[in-house]
Amino acid sequence: MLQNSLKSGTRIFTYRNVCAIPKRLQQTQVATNTPATEPENIAVIEERILKHPDYFQVHNLFTVRDLFNARVHYGHKEGSLDDRMRPYIYGSRLGHLIFDLDITAAHLRDALNIAAHIAFRDGIILFFNRNALNAHLVEKKAIEAGEFSHTRFWRGGIFTNANVQFGAVTRLPDLCIFLNTQNNILTQHVAVRDSAKMAIPTIGIVDTNCNPNLITYPVPGNDDSPAAIELYCNLFKAAILRGKEKRKELLGETENTNSSKS
Amino acid sequence: MAVALRFGSNFLKNNINYVQNICRITDSYTAQIQASRNFGTEVTVKAAPLAVKKQKVSQAMKAYLERARENDEFMKTQKLEYQIGKRHLANMMGEDPETFTQEDIDNAIEYLFPSGLFDKRARPLMKSPEEVFPARKAAEFDETGRPFHSMFYTGRPNFFKLLYDIVEEMNNLNDLEERMLRRGTRADPNQKVDFTGFQWLTKDQLEAILVEQINDLEYTNFTNAMDRLVSLPFSYKSRDFINKFAKPLLDQTKQLEIPKPQFDAEGRQFVTTYECLRKTARGDVTVRLPGTGKITINGQDITYFEELQSREQVLFPLIFAEMLGKVDIEANVEGGGPSGQAGAIRWGIAMSLRSFVDQEMVESMRLAGLLQRDYRRRERKKYGQEGARRKYTWKKR
Repeated sequence: MLQNSLKSGTRIFTYRNVCAIPKRLQQTQVATNTPATEPENIAVIEERILKHPDYFQVHNLFTVRDLFNARVHYGHKEGSLDDRMRPYIYGSRLGHLIFDLDITAAHLRDALNIAAHIAFRDGIILFFNRNALNAHLVEKKAIEAGEFSHTRFWRGGIFTNANVQFGAVTRLPDLCIFLNTQNNILTQHVAVRDSAKMAIPTIGIVDTNCNPNLITYPVPGNDDSPAAIELYCNLFKAAILRGKEKRKELLGETENTNSSKS
Repeated sequence: MAVALRFGSNFLKNNINYVQNICRITDSYTAQIQASRNFGTEVTVKAAPLAVKKQKVSQAMKAYLERARENDEFMKTQKLEYQIGKRHLANMMGEDPETFTQEDIDNAIEYLFPSGLFDKRARPLMKSPEEVFPARKAAEFDETGRPFHSMFYTGRPNFFKLLYDIVEEMNNLNDLEERMLRRGTRADPNQKVDFTGFQWLTKDQLEAILVEQINDLEYTNFTNAMDRLVSLPFSYKSRDFINKFAKPLLDQTKQLEIPKPQFDAEGRQFVTTYECLRKTARGDVTVRLPGTGKITINGQDITYFEELQSREQVLFPLIFAEMLGKVDIEANVEGGGPSGQAGAIRWGIAMSLRSFVDQEMVESMRLAGLLQRDYRRRERKKYGQEGARRKYTWKKR
């Protein structure tokens, strides 16, 4: 239910359609919601803000230059190209494919937007990464964002057979963020398939050798360089924290009451 | 009679740290939920929020609370039955039920239900239900179903958090090293962590700490990561972290206690080793210092053994420790044959000589195998064979 409404909301108001040329600090003011005399139900607010194209102002989190500096535009060699990644490629230089960062930026903003919305709705967000080089970084950022990470070997059935795997009824994540979608250069992460089976929306950084078909919100870009992964992690962390802060603000929760709860 | 007799009850290793008293945990959760239910009204007075949320308890939490409640009830009835059984048992044994302890129960069960079963865990027992039934894990998630641990979905959160912590320590040390190098200082080689004489916690010990089952590969990953942490030049800065997972190895020779020599009527030092065993021979050996090299075996001299090999066996420790002609030997042996008796005396002499030589010699005697008891016994003859291993002569045609 939650996922469906989110999807439909963002499909209509994707950021790509609203503003083609993203400018930093284009619009800093958050859409003000009229102060009601008596507190509204948060569910009503959740529905209403979906109609806003960029409620959490995620478009000002980064610029295309940031992406360029973080080496997001580097793809793999031409020979390893997956045909389904063709639309996101700007060209080839010295045999290496280069991403079109304007397209990447638009996709990344959509992804950040959905991450912020899910965080606002108190969803569970799970970070994936199977690259040992970046695993620690991803785990660290997940902890900092107060969310979850899985950078280890994927035991089959964690999603599809969760009640047996965890020995009890278990709540599954509401969003999976794949910082790389491959197990190794040949095979796709099984969790991509399992998330699709369980109707869990996914965000995935897809490199030129990856298949974006099963990813709900694919973001074309370099998924190997630590600099690029750090940028993605920081962006997702910032978006998630924005969503969470907004929720706290609306509910009038202060730090004290929150810490006593957990 | 409701005596809770459990045959071969399985104590689950994991989860024991959790839930000592599950009812307390359940109570605290319900209290939390109650608290957050009142929360909305409480805040309207204070901060006037723009929104309120309807408190939702997730399916996971509902299921957990239900399981916890069932477990509570089950344990309550079990405890009651245990108390009743205890009173019955006390009456049967003619003792006061009020002062009947667990030790008395164990004795009574052993008396009333004598069992010849070899494994002690297979014998009948009556223990309090807390010990019999494995403790259950407390809820790992809050009332909305959100897990507490960031690596919950890996299935082994504590273990992977440990690996994460090791890497975090290593990163900190590398940063420190870089800063120090920029300042021109290097790690102090004198303070380097000396890991000789230590080893990492065994897999079982680590599992007990983590309350999780890990496989061999994961344990190897852990030891490799820790080895790498120790090898860093500034590893002494995280000595506290390392010590949590290191345990000392005991020195082999220091473990064996060497007896102090006593003095006889003539004022000579002597050491007697009893229980010198080899094959079916047993005996005792007394070594006296100073001496003239006189050897007495069952009242005879070394010609007690007719074979040269047995005589060499007896003399070998004396030659090895260069004590031949400096000590007197008295030995009494019985049982077995010549080689067994000679071996028993050899071991007895070597063990006694430890008191008269220096530590270095003791160590080399240990390495030479002189202090090692020989546990080999005769192998039985098998049917269809001529001996233990030898087969009957057989030719196909």
